[in-house]
Amino acid sequence: MKDGKRMLTCAFFLLVWLWAAWWMGDVFRIAYERSFFAPDSTLMHWLWQQSYGSLWILGRALLTLYHWPWVGGLLVAVLLTVGSWLVGYCLRLPRRWRWAQYLPACCWLCWVSWSGFDLYYMHEPGRILGIPFLVLVVCAVDAFVIWTFKRRRAVAVLEDPSAGKEAPVGWRYYLLSFAFFLSLIVLPCLLLHFRHPYLRPVTRMQVQLMERDYQGMVATGHKNAHLSYRPLAAYYAIGLARTGHLTDQLFDIRLEYDTVYAHSYGGDPEQALNYYLVDCDFQSGLVRPAMRRAMEELTMDGPSLFTLKHLARMALIEGEWEVARKYFHILRKAPFEGAFLQKYEAMLERPDLVQADPEFASLLKTAPVANAFENQFAKPCFLGYFAVAEQGRSIETLNYSLMANLYSKRMPDFLARCQVLVGSTPPRTIAEGLATQAPKNEVILRAFPQLQMDVQRYVGFLKVAAPYMKERERGGRELFDEYHGYYPYYYFFGNIRATVKRDEAHLETSKSGVN
Amino acid sequence: MNTRKYLFYFLFCILFLSSCSDRPSAVPATFTDVKEAVRIYPDYQGVTIPPNIAPLNFMVIDDAADAFVADLSGLVCGAAADGKMDLDTTAWRQLLTQHRGQDIAVSVYARREQGWVRHPAFQLHVAEEPIDSFLSYRLIEPGYELYRQLGLYQRNLTNFTQTTIYENNRSYANEENHCVNCHNYQNYDTQRMLFHVRAAHGGTIITHGTEAHKIAIKHDSILGAGVYPSWHPTLPLVAFSTNKTGQVFHLLYPEKIEVLDTESDLLLYDAERNEVQNVLRSTDALETFPCWTPDGRRLYYCSAKMPDIEGENLEATLTSRFDSLLYDIYSMPFDPATRTFGEPRLEVDASSQGMSCSVPRVSPDGRYLLYTYGKYGQFHIWHKSADLWVKDLKSLSGEGVPLTAANSPDADSYHCWSSNGRWIVFSSRRDDGNFTRPYITYFSAQGHARKPFMLPQRDPEYNLLLLKSYNVPELTRSPVRVSIEEMNHVVRHTEAQVARFKN
Repeated sequence: MKDGKRMLTCAFFLLVWLWAAWWMGDVFRIAYERSFFAPDSTLMHWLWQQSYGSLWILGRALLTLYHWPWVGGLLVAVLLTVGSWLVGYCLRLPRRWRWAQYLPACCWLCWVSWSGFDLYYMHEPGRILGIPFLVLVVCAVDAFVIWTFKRRRAVAVLEDPSAGKEAPVGWRYYLLSFAFFLSLIVLPCLLLHFRHPYLRPVTRMQVQLMERDYQGMVATGHKNAHLSYRPLAAYYAIGLARTGHLTDQLFDIRLEYDTVYAHSYGGDPEQALNYYLVDCDFQSGLVRPAMRRAMEELTMDGPSLFTLKHLARMALIEGEWEVARKYFHILRKAPFEGAFLQKYEAMLERPDLVQADPEFASLLKTAPVANAFENQFAKPCFLGYFAVAEQGRSIETLNYSLMANLYSKRMPDFLARCQVLVGSTPPRTIAEGLATQAPKNEVILRAFPQLQMDVQRYVGFLKVAAPYMKERERGGRELFDEYHGYYPYYYFFGNIRATVKRDEAHLETSKSGVN
Repeated sequence: MNTRKYLFYFLFCILFLSSCSDRPSAVPATFTDVKEAVRIYPDYQGVTIPPNIAPLNFMVIDDAADAFVADLSGLVCGAAADGKMDLDTTAWRQLLTQHRGQDIAVSVYARREQGWVRHPAFQLHVAEEPIDSFLSYRLIEPGYELYRQLGLYQRNLTNFTQTTIYENNRSYANEENHCVNCHNYQNYDTQRMLFHVRAAHGGTIITHGTEAHKIAIKHDSILGAGVYPSWHPTLPLVAFSTNKTGQVFHLLYPEKIEVLDTESDLLLYDAERNEVQNVLRSTDALETFPCWTPDGRRLYYCSAKMPDIEGENLEATLTSRFDSLLYDIYSMPFDPATRTFGEPRLEVDASSQGMSCSVPRVSPDGRYLLYTYGKYGQFHIWHKSADLWVKDLKSLSGEGVPLTAANSPDADSYHCWSSNGRWIVFSSRRDDGNFTRPYITYFSAQGHARKPFMLPQRDPEYNLLLLKSYNVPELTRSPVRVSIEEMNHVVRHTEAQVARFKN
């Protein structure tokens, strides 16, 4: 029977490992990136002086193992399995109540799944593993005290506390126990799936972005095309931009944004509006806005690997070698960042290497060519800037600008920018955008005679869409399967809840606080 | 029993091993001289230091070496592979006392694969004149709009002790979130000081001895709350600028940010009567950064001519012409008896040179005017072109000259004299272009600066790791007398008394 018990323990361990490494691996990996730990009192001082600071530092230290999600998952499995053993030992539960020893672990799994972005975004990531670690330590101390005074054998911690006192159990008991463990894992999985369906795809795409797997980002976006959340759309767009498919696949996913469960520092609903802005600004070549936003995140959240790595890379692009050196120096204190340092430190004082880096070279193609103030453009900057951009150094800038206008449904600006395409075959989505305007503007067909088919399709679509014009949300839902990816569908039924002021850009100096 | 014994031995070995570090303690007997200059951080080579400064702990940067020894005219200190020299405080004090007015020769030895090498020695010059013992500053990330944890701190310059004057929040809370800034003292003394609190718990905190209270400067007849302050050296008066300030962020420009005033005036606040009055209220000029002379009979300030903008969006137009706002320095006589000001006089005409100046500060002997000189604007801490300049007020030529030895290619701005006029502390972004650090330079009686040095820290690596900037360094002779508990109480639990307006 001891073998049976050990098997059950192993089953619990393996299920938790699988959950923590495979199911939640990307989520925890991004939590690790949004965290920072270094065994250095200066760097951790800001956290140390906060309430429970030392515990959060410990939690962050443990989270660093998520540099390798399977190792991090292993740690979680060890923490929860040993913790559960100790809970059972300390409480000396009789056999029929022994399932209760897994309740703390279950609570943790549910809390993690319930939290969504609040797990690490604008919230302390040290809590993730700091709390189970604290429970483990408390239980271990308690168990030690019990062991010392009661003189129970140490190995009893790993065994049945009531061994020999109760009747032997059969296979049904183990089967039920296994089913119980399975439900412990399935429950948080379901919770996550229904409450935060965007969390795993978004974090997957973030990991893919870190790994420069842009095709993978697009594939993840397509796989979750029916989901509609801003962070998901943002990373999908980055993937498309990097693979050159922005002009033909942007509208393949639903863009009618549902509410994201995320809260700001004060606990107000925030909907993760700023979650992706550093990445979007940076990937669209707007290094300065990305730098400013990363610095604000550094101010509010303290240092994180995400912020420091971005700041270091932006400093390289800007040629700010000394501050890049500072960020590298700090990152060197963090464990496991050797590969990043090896790759990017070589670029210090070497603008030729910066220019030659494929990622940097790609994003610099759309960098601004003339100075302006970020405040002049509608927010977010990566949309506001490209919507009105009139100069660029590459065809990508034109494409971004066309797509920003199509996305924002700023058709006069879109048409003005299409002027340069006359005589060429516009990409699919651009053609569809032109087709929506062709019935109102005959010049379009004269300039782009090859759009006849697109216009016909558009006219056909209008007939199908006519019954839904007064109920656009319903139309959006019902026509999605057939028309997703088709620009006129987006034009009429996509993003209709957005309240974007798109007609004028304000020059607005920020008065909220000059630090 | 055996288990316990082994455990004891194990712990003993761990302790023993951890107590042994590869930190040499004597100058090597044999070595080879090399010609390459030693690389140290912070760069203290050839600097002039006060005789009462804390130990200049430094870090030798040499990847090829695994141990170091520094010989500072007999004070020997060793360092392991990290190169960190932790100088003995008592021995350092003796060294400074012995070498007051003289040079300390520093030789650094490095242990490399082929053996010990000695770098060419460098000098530390110990000045005769001490520096005021306390430096207060604000520590904040160089973000632009948001803030979470920030505070005002004071550092004892004779050692490494830093104490908190006031700190906002260690963790974020919406209803508690507030910013503190613009701390200022009366004549290097902490009997009277002030600082502002913005957002939650807003007001201006004014201290008198060990007591503090909160006031609010607001009235329909004044532009807004007090911003940049200057205590009168003897009277309970504060000259404030009041500014409508905004900021914009460049997409592609050598500078990252512009902080612009669209309106600004000067105020005079009486701390005893809790009264405020306008000093300069104009729409055709932007006045800011007031500063009293040491005798309290003249007020210096910056002023820029407002561009002629009619029927246009003032804010948008000013922003688009951000580099055409040029500030000059003016002064006005002040009659302490009647508390009235005379006619303004142009002191530094930068605009005619196509330049701009900011933050005037008059030396304690009244002879020198120290200010920053840059290409445009007044918020020079964000301008790489900003340098420290000085004008000899007794000189016939009346021309300003740069403090070349103290300046750097990056922003050198917010500055403060020591009470004896021999030291200047200023903020500089010279290290990395982003994070300001306090630098201290010697200012000779002849009006020349020397190579400045960074505020020393116990851990020389500290400023490399610190992700905050030092703002508004201000020297005082003594520490602030109001306890942090009292400050907390006043900021968080008292209502601001609104200042009366005086016509």
